[in-house]
Amino acid sequence: MLSRRAFLRTSLQTSTLVALAPTVPTFLTRTIQAAQPERDGRILVVIQLDGGNDGINTVVPFGDEGYAKHRKVLRLPSERLFKINNEVGLHPEMGGTAKLLESGRLAIVQGVGYPNPSRSHFRSMTIWQSAKVDLPRFKEDIVVEEDKAVYGWIGQALDEGRRPADGSPSAVFVGDGTPPLAFRSHRCTTSTMTRPEDSVLTLPEEAPLDSSQSKSGTDLAAFVRRSTLDAYVTSARMSDVLHVKDAGVTYPATGLAGRLRVVARLIKGGVATRVFYTAQGSYDTHHVQLTIHADLLAELSGALKAFVDDLAAAKLADRVMVLCFSEFGRRVQENGSHGTDHGTAGPIFLAGTKVKAGLLGEAPKLLDLQDGDLRMTTDFRRVYASVLRDWLGLPSRSALGGDFEPISLFQV
Amino acid sequence: MSFATQSWDVKGYWTPYTPSDKVPWSLRRVVHLHRAAGFAATWKEMQGDLAVGPGPSISRLLAGQTRIDNVSEEFEPIADIRLRDARDIADLKAWWFFRIYHGPDPLGERLTLLWHDHFATSNLKVQNVWSMRRQNLIFRKYGRGPFGDLLRAVVHDPALLIWLDAPANRKGAANENLARELMELFTLGIGHYSENDVKEAARALTGWAEERDRFHENADQHDTGEKTILGRTGAWNGDDLVRLLLENPATSRRLAWRLCDWLVGENTVTGEGFNALAAGLRVHDLSVAWAVDTVLRSQVFFAEENLGRRVYGPVEYVAGVARALECFDAPPNSLVLSEWSARLGQDLFYPPNVGGWPGHRFWLSTQAIIGRANYAAALVRGELSPRSVPLDGLSLARRHGRGRDLDDFLVFCAELLTGAPPDDALSKRLRSSLGAKAILDDKTARVAIALMAASPEVQLV
Repeated sequence: MLSRRAFLRTSLQTSTLVALAPTVPTFLTRTIQAAQPERDGRILVVIQLDGGNDGINTVVPFGDEGYAKHRKVLRLPSERLFKINNEVGLHPEMGGTAKLLESGRLAIVQGVGYPNPSRSHFRSMTIWQSAKVDLPRFKEDIVVEEDKAVYGWIGQALDEGRRPADGSPSAVFVGDGTPPLAFRSHRCTTSTMTRPEDSVLTLPEEAPLDSSQSKSGTDLAAFVRRSTLDAYVTSARMSDVLHVKDAGVTYPATGLAGRLRVVARLIKGGVATRVFYTAQGSYDTHHVQLTIHADLLAELSGALKAFVDDLAAAKLADRVMVLCFSEFGRRVQENGSHGTDHGTAGPIFLAGTKVKAGLLGEAPKLLDLQDGDLRMTTDFRRVYASVLRDWLGLPSRSALGGDFEPISLFQV
Repeated sequence: MSFATQSWDVKGYWTPYTPSDKVPWSLRRVVHLHRAAGFAATWKEMQGDLAVGPGPSISRLLAGQTRIDNVSEEFEPIADIRLRDARDIADLKAWWFFRIYHGPDPLGERLTLLWHDHFATSNLKVQNVWSMRRQNLIFRKYGRGPFGDLLRAVVHDPALLIWLDAPANRKGAANENLARELMELFTLGIGHYSENDVKEAARALTGWAEERDRFHENADQHDTGEKTILGRTGAWNGDDLVRLLLENPATSRRLAWRLCDWLVGENTVTGEGFNALAAGLRVHDLSVAWAVDTVLRSQVFFAEENLGRRVYGPVEYVAGVARALECFDAPPNSLVLSEWSARLGQDLFYPPNVGGWPGHRFWLSTQAIIGRANYAAALVRGELSPRSVPLDGLSLARRHGRGRDLDDFLVFCAELLTGAPPDDALSKRLRSSLGAKAILDDKTARVAIALMAASPEVQLV
């Protein structure tokens, strides 16, 4: 296995890829100047719960009279919860998460949302990922995702920081499907993968590829050229981390655990990427929610615990923080089909050794609703502001489209 | 130039294209037509179109008569047998790719794919090959419109009803899933209805269910009370709701946007263009075929600045590249094609969610870009066919009187896949990838084709 230095040297000398693409040498030159991996760089890992997680049955307000009033079929018996205090407990399937809480490695911000919440999955997810609540109305029926003017909170924030010195992408999405809007930005390079193995170019015999040198063409053409170049550079970088092993931790055999294991491999392999992002479906529990939701939370909780333990065993835990969110919570009142419809605010989880463990923010009241939905108590942009400023050390103003008072999430 | 202005298009936004010196009927435009509305075409098919001009070329495409190569009278019977024998979802994917690759009607297949994306239903929840198959047949039968017929058929389709929890939506116990997506995604679009409209629409839809895999209207579960939807009050049921949605101009506008976005690409057609096309759709009973015809024949579609404005989708890429390269003697295995498409981000019958595939720039993730290059490599090596015959690129070029030397061969590859000779930068890249000493032999030809197919230029339509 090549060392990183040797890898870069070889790349520079022999790779047709580098020889071909005029934009590569400049940044590989920078690489040579700073070939030390950013060992102390802090890393953010985002887990997106797709479909709208029922926050009420995740961080359960069993002490609130409204809980028994609105939840009949879906009510979780309080004796089975992992109690956090006399009011609130975690879902019975969240044993792993409860252990993180006990050991001071989990913070839960309650009632997180934004003003005038949208109950559309797509719109609300766009709001969370762009951190812009006042998106222009969908003009010309072009859905906002297509609107070039909408950038992601992560991509925009990363634009203001330094690019990883080793040529790694600034942000990596691990999963099938498409990278999140949260990454979209002017400059920062991002990448997607399911496994590092799949991102390695097996292509034509010995002839690698490159990105175009032509400067002509549209913004779209430039995007395709840049993406192609980034992909090939990432591909070369990935061959470097294929050998990385788990640090004596067994990950559960679930999709999310598999994806977090990939993230851990990349971090342990020394990739200087600052933000990793992955998602877990299908929280859109309109119908017979109880067992489906329990399975989802079991998957989430088990995967999160294994990931945090793996990094701790590799002595990397202090550098990594996990943020877990969903585009909205569910309606407080269960629906007629043993499920819940789209609602508003919900909890955010933050896992890591540096968080201020326990419950943060104010719990929404289940007897004080607005149109049948929870009133949010903390704007999600205040959480982002803290993550950007206090964790990643990045300015947040342009990423969030304004100044938001960071809430205190970390130990001083 | 004077065209009788149409009442729906007073400003002449959708004026038909006529070739001119400035906007010639060139190979570039023939390639554009086939990649936009089909799955690319072979050299011979394109030369034929080049000779007859845009009018007849587009007519043939619309009529499902555009293909000349690899056309077989036995296609339909074989496809039918494959469909009849489809036992699991992999068979169904293979059947669809078989139709895409060997069938006579590429535009029809593209429309089927469009509606699969628009009414995105995943077998992940439906878990029934038979239901997914029947839904696909609905897209085929009604894919050319009128949109109302398509919409009515789809909202009564058991696969969609299961997917969106319709059976759980009962009187006094509404489940909003179907009502919301019907308004947000299938018809009006966000911003054209209120939260209250969603609630009321869900009440109108109560009682719609599926029973033993058939549509079933459960009268006991239907809320017969008055509802106010989009400002109109009545004791509406599900069919009334669909009618209200179809009558609303926002639906025609969203349909116009959908079709332009699908055929032309991002940031091409303006608001004025959508409005005009929507007005035309309204006077043509929301006919999809009419709108597709109008867009394909328009100057907008062929305008220089609108070429290369859309990212080639995975199914299109996988099928189109292989077809353009005339892989017919040892054709790619249909199941293998569907697996590659899935690897590139488009797994048929498994759209990621009810919003369909995000598409556009989102197609080009790192992994998908690497995957496209690896697909091109597998294709030229012959790995897609059980017979493992490497692609004979040299014969392909020589069959068409090209490939005198390496330069001529590279020009041919670029023209075949993009409609234009490579610009200086691209030819320099190709030459340099192949090595200074490269001569035109079988192996060089194969590598050159793979490099060309993987190039950024080919990823845009």
